[in-house]
Amino acid sequence: MATVYPPDRHLLRDLRLSFEHGGDRTSRAWMPVAPELFATDGAVRAGALATLVDVIGGGLAAAAAHPGWIATADLTLHLVRAATAGSVQARARVVHSGRTTVVIEVGLFGDADVELGIATMSFAVLPRRDGNPDISTGMAAGPSTMALESSRMHAPLLDELGVHTLDAERGELEVPVSDWSRNSFGAMQGGAVATIVDAAAEAVAQAATGVALTVTDIQLTYLALARVGPLRTRVDVLGVGPGAVTARVELVDTGADARVTTVGRVVATSTLRGSR
Amino acid sequence: MTDPSPVETDRDYSGPETGREVSRYVQVELHEVETPERESPRVVGHAPASRHLRGPGGGVRGGALLTMLDNVGGLCGGLAALPDGWVVSTNLSARTLRLEHVGPFRIDARVLRQGRASVVTAVEIRDEGAADALVVDGVLTSAILVPENGPPRWARPLVLGPGEPLTEPVPGIPDWLAARAIDDTTMEMPLAESLRNPWGILHGGAVASLIDLTAEHVAGGVTTDVVLHFLAPNRTGPVRAVARDLGSRADGTVVRIEVRDEGADRVTALAIATSAPVRVAPSR
Repeated sequence: MATVYPPDRHLLRDLRLSFEHGGDRTSRAWMPVAPELFATDGAVRAGALATLVDVIGGGLAAAAAHPGWIATADLTLHLVRAATAGSVQARARVVHSGRTTVVIEVGLFGDADVELGIATMSFAVLPRRDGNPDISTGMAAGPSTMALESSRMHAPLLDELGVHTLDAERGELEVPVSDWSRNSFGAMQGGAVATIVDAAAEAVAQAATGVALTVTDIQLTYLALARVGPLRTRVDVLGVGPGAVTARVELVDTGADARVTTVGRVVATSTLRGSR
Repeated sequence: MTDPSPVETDRDYSGPETGREVSRYVQVELHEVETPERESPRVVGHAPASRHLRGPGGGVRGGALLTMLDNVGGLCGGLAALPDGWVVSTNLSARTLRLEHVGPFRIDARVLRQGRASVVTAVEIRDEGAADALVVDGVLTSAILVPENGPPRWARPLVLGPGEPLTEPVPGIPDWLAARAIDDTTMEMPLAESLRNPWGILHGGAVASLIDLTAEHVAGGVTTDVVLHFLAPNRTGPVRAVARDLGSRADGTVVRIEVRDEGADRVTALAIATSAPVRVAPSR
């Protein structure tokens, strides 16, 4: 595992995210739309957008909980329009900050301020321990980025994550926990987890219907850190309706006694491209 | 999060029927499944698909299903928190897979994760009258708190009946809540004493039902998917829900709904709901 976080080649650098933290418990972040982030319909996949949400939401929640620390409890994402060009802007705000929980709402917008969707995250507030990053030093007002000059996606997102399809019809994927996708705790980054869940559900939805459906909703509950790997997905199709499939996805850490690290409920629908 | 402490209620916490009027309305009866000593509790509930719970699409309204989910999942989480504390719901997410219902429903809750401060329960609602078809798949997260008078002390395994029979005619959900439309995007209800939970605040199921009615009011369909964050307790009322249409896609219209306790002048809940277009069932 890399000793410096994040290493020069890392998901959060290669997405070329940039940030601007407000002083009023709000933050904004931008992610350039790149073809490597596209799902099969040529629009940015839900998992990539969830990564943007996870990063900005986590930073804002950590600042809200300061001097305490946080653990991500859940992330939800609902998309209504597609991002195909330009950049995606995330606007996050603290909607609740209490003794035990922080809740963040994130609006996603495309070019011309078109509303793409909405996300929420909730966090458990924990006592600060030695080694927890001091977020107050990283939340300076003004623009910032983790990207280096050389940062960029070298391959499609799923390939960069090392996603290996074991059985597409059953949505069985296997993914290593690599330095490229680890968070500061050494576990797979929450947005990367969302991307794997997205990919597994997408594979099953397409197999179940024979139609190229894309993921529009993700509701993730994080149960444990995915530290060891390889990770495997287990998918149950819960319902197939007109133009939509609902699936339940579990992410198992096979290297940690097959512990279920995340449960997700995912909706895949016909493409949002062209939605007004 | 619903953070109700200090408990501003003079209700006696020791009785299992305390604050269960909402459960009585949806007629949930439940029992704790005996599990080996070191395993987490499991709770199974049953409820009829009663006529008074049905909406214009013919099926049981999403708000009633979420009330059942909150009820059984919350009790399961609460039993997991004993003997140190009890729980309040902090957020839930649920997808309704089937819109036509026969009943009775079986509501099955199990613990996914238990920590010092919270419990996460998975809840499934199945229609026993429709070959056990999956109706709702959901997750409920609850915070562990210590009530002023201590956690409830109940005989285990716990069994709770549906309460006294409802007096006919039983009002439908809009009348039960006394919910009314304020304008094209807003619904409002008073905070009736009967709708308070054992903590003395508006029951989460009533909040979910108001959200369901507001989504229906704005989008005109049937609520099939809800993510609901309880941010603060509703203590005073009236309670108002304002919806904003985010856009439509193949499975329905997605709306954002913000709930406020107008009497306390604060936001108490945030929800994202999907409303599916459905054919209105012919009147019976």
